[in-house]
Amino acid sequence: MSDESNISGPDEDRLIAAEYALGVLPSAERDAVRARLKSEPALQSELRFWRQRLSSLDTEFAETPAPAAVWSRIEQRLFTGQARTGWWNSLALWRSVAAGAFAVAAVAVAINVTTPRPDPRAFAAELVAALHAEGSNVSFVALYNQTSGELRVTPLSGEQFTDKDYELWAIEDGGPAKSMGVIAANARQDVKISKDILVDFGEGTTLAVTLETKGGSPTGVAQGPIVAVGKATQI
Amino acid sequence: MASTTADIADLIARCALRDRQAFRDLYGRTSAKLFGVTLRILRDRSEAEEALQEVYVKIWQRADRYVPGGYSPISWLVAVARNHSLDVLRARKPQSEDIDMALDVADAGPTPEKAAVDSGERGRIDNCLGQLDTEKADAVRGAYLDGYSYEELAERHNVPLNTMRTWLRRSLLKLRECLSA
Repeated sequence: MSDESNISGPDEDRLIAAEYALGVLPSAERDAVRARLKSEPALQSELRFWRQRLSSLDTEFAETPAPAAVWSRIEQRLFTGQARTGWWNSLALWRSVAAGAFAVAAVAVAINVTTPRPDPRAFAAELVAALHAEGSNVSFVALYNQTSGELRVTPLSGEQFTDKDYELWAIEDGGPAKSMGVIAANARQDVKISKDILVDFGEGTTLAVTLETKGGSPTGVAQGPIVAVGKATQI
Repeated sequence: MASTTADIADLIARCALRDRQAFRDLYGRTSAKLFGVTLRILRDRSEAEEALQEVYVKIWQRADRYVPGGYSPISWLVAVARNHSLDVLRARKPQSEDIDMALDVADAGPTPEKAAVDSGERGRIDNCLGQLDTEKADAVRGAYLDGYSYEELAERHNVPLNTMRTWLRRSLLKLRECLSA
């Protein structure tokens, strides 16, 4: 943008800082000021002046409660270690889950991590994850039996597609999603947990269900939309 | 929920130490304010939600850069949200304003409590803006609160782009003088 305001000298920098603080500059000029700020303390201090003074106007931004889904996405993005793969925190994906035909699942996962003793009172440490997102007609309950090393997955409701399968995934903080295999939406099943998953399995493990092509993802990396996700927490 | 400045500063400091519970609390206390910022500037609910997500990711990643004493902590958070929203706004193609969304953005009445806290500085900027022509004060407020670019301001005030820039720059010099006094 050409400057025909005939202002020069120290005023020029003051104005650049003010314009940057206000945000009126076009993208390219904005980037140019940002680059200068890295090495020019005088410009930085001028920017601080304007930001401090202008921040008095902040009271005019109306508080508006954000939808709960935003927090879920932030948590998934920062704390499930899937940021690099992209599919996990893709907003488009989450929207497709909310809006899609299968809509969203409420999957309750109960994981029993008790020691293998017959005394029923020993079943004290239980992990439960309630997984929900609006709109789904699919729900599962999963119960972890430490004695057998199996996860009993019981569908409560949901549609079984002829050309697609649900696939169950386990995710540890910072790690990739590991497939636990295809699960049916119309029959109870005991899923044997493989050793490499079992080693970290417990409170904090995230379980996710995606909708994949028949037989599950051919690549071993989830490709379909997440229809349910949740983290095991101790109760 | 009322949050004191010290509470917010403490939560930001704990985020810098990777305290997830502090981050959750910080979100609980400040997300409505920051959503108000992204929504008002972006004027599109889904873009504003996506921006809010990015803003909190930045806050978590940059919490260690907050220096107490410089800004009030909530102003720092608002600045992060404003900057991100402006970057999104300036990067996107010009588009017509969604009237329905614009109506969705409520007029912000500060609560009496906040008004009391801010009355000192707030009175000062109101006083200084009051010394400008109404039209020019409106341009400054529109730029800060609604994210209007020079192009949009020129259009709204029905003057050529360069005239708008000259106007605003002269107003900013006057404003600076008044705010420094």
